[in-house]
Amino acid sequence: MNSPIAEYSSPDINKTLTAGDGPHSTNGKTTQISEFVTKAGGEDRDKPTEASDSQLGQLRAKITSLQDNINVFLTQRMKQVKDEGDIERRILDDGVDEDSD
Amino acid sequence: MTVDLDKFKKPGKDYYLALGLEGSANKLGVGVIKHNLGQLSSENRAEVLSNVRDTYITPPGEGFLPRDTARHHRNWVVRIIKKSLVDAGIKGTDLDCICFTQGPGMGAPLQSVVIAARTLSQLWKLPLIGVNHCVGHIEMGREITGANNPVVLYVSGGNTQIIAYSRQRYRIFGETLDIAIGNCLDRFARVLKISNDPAPGYNIEQMAKKGKHLVTLPYTVKGMDLSMAGILSYIEVLAKDLFSSNPKKNKNLIDEESGELITPEDLCYSLQESLFSMLVEITERAMAHVQSNQVLIVGGVGSNERLQEMMELMVNERKNGSIHATDERFCIDNGIMIAHAGLLSYRMGQINDLKDTVCTQRFRTDEVFVSWRDD
Repeated sequence: MNSPIAEYSSPDINKTLTAGDGPHSTNGKTTQISEFVTKAGGEDRDKPTEASDSQLGQLRAKITSLQDNINVFLTQRMKQVKDEGDIERRILDDGVDEDSD
Repeated sequence: MTVDLDKFKKPGKDYYLALGLEGSANKLGVGVIKHNLGQLSSENRAEVLSNVRDTYITPPGEGFLPRDTARHHRNWVVRIIKKSLVDAGIKGTDLDCICFTQGPGMGAPLQSVVIAARTLSQLWKLPLIGVNHCVGHIEMGREITGANNPVVLYVSGGNTQIIAYSRQRYRIFGETLDIAIGNCLDRFARVLKISNDPAPGYNIEQMAKKGKHLVTLPYTVKGMDLSMAGILSYIEVLAKDLFSSNPKKNKNLIDEESGELITPEDLCYSLQESLFSMLVEITERAMAHVQSNQVLIVGGVGSNERLQEMMELMVNERKNGSIHATDERFCIDNGIMIAHAGLLSYRMGQINDLKDTVCTQRFRTDEVFVSWRDD
């Protein structure tokens, strides 16, 4: 069976994301319960069911891995865009607050 | 004149089956409803074949965050749908349509559940029907209680509205100007670290039964509307003083008549009494406006027996007054009400194309055209 892929395109880059080599599971790294909740004493009773051996079950697991890769990639992109924005602002403003004399 | 509900009936089939999916807040509900052909009436009631619910419960003192609530819905939805179909004793392909909550509600949980609805629709080749959550509550309340044309008090964690039907719309006569009543109660429960299991409001209700002293709180009815944020701030300060070790701070917390100390139970009791009095006042005024003598209470807070009791006192003083309320199966968010209201839409030919199934956090009750009523 083919693996699912995701395609990302923007003016500066194009990227194809894959599920990777595995092993794959439905228990994704980026889809865990919030730390905030566990710190407040909450327990995780909402874990996903494990993937079955069927073709659809395996697809579920691969999509979870793919989702993880997408989440990591997009989080990095957002951070990068934010950092670049900071540089631009520093250069344009030359480190001077507009309202000050 | 009555509307024809059977213009779109399938040949050779004398009933309709609909699956409803609800997940606008922390409850995930799935239900299957059956309508027989013809007008719904006291002889031809809608039949609840299954009504399954799972609630996302957070630790005491914490509310539910959109991200984790959505995760709960995503990870449970398949299991809950399977259980609902088994309970109903039907197969997915026996259904006529798939109904889902389109709004109002929290964005992320709504998004998660609609994905399940779209998937089932394509899997079983069934039409999709987006349902307004508030209209779901109203229609299910009318069906269960048999109240024909009531003034509806819709009180829940996210909504506080007084609604009456007029010319094919459920029109809002009064509503909260800031937070919902359930939100006010839940947030007060967080200050006192009251358990969220089964629901903070339920636990407040039990504590309030033990309250003896009424603490005076602000009373904020503004015309037909009401405001609760100020009351919450006021009682939060009182509640924090209750736990303060500084004895000077506790001076407001002594009952004037008996000289006894105010307890958390007294605060629960006082908050309920104040908020519910405000609701009773505007409900009575709405009844006078529309010359109705029926009241229907829907929404999660509607399962509060003290609210029902206070409303009953008011209604009994009015000529031929009657009050209608449902129990927690239908008051608290559930899938069956979405199935019921959605099926009414379906029977009138109102269905959503896939591209029109986007959920919305803001979706007012009076935006819905009530094609299935013509009185």
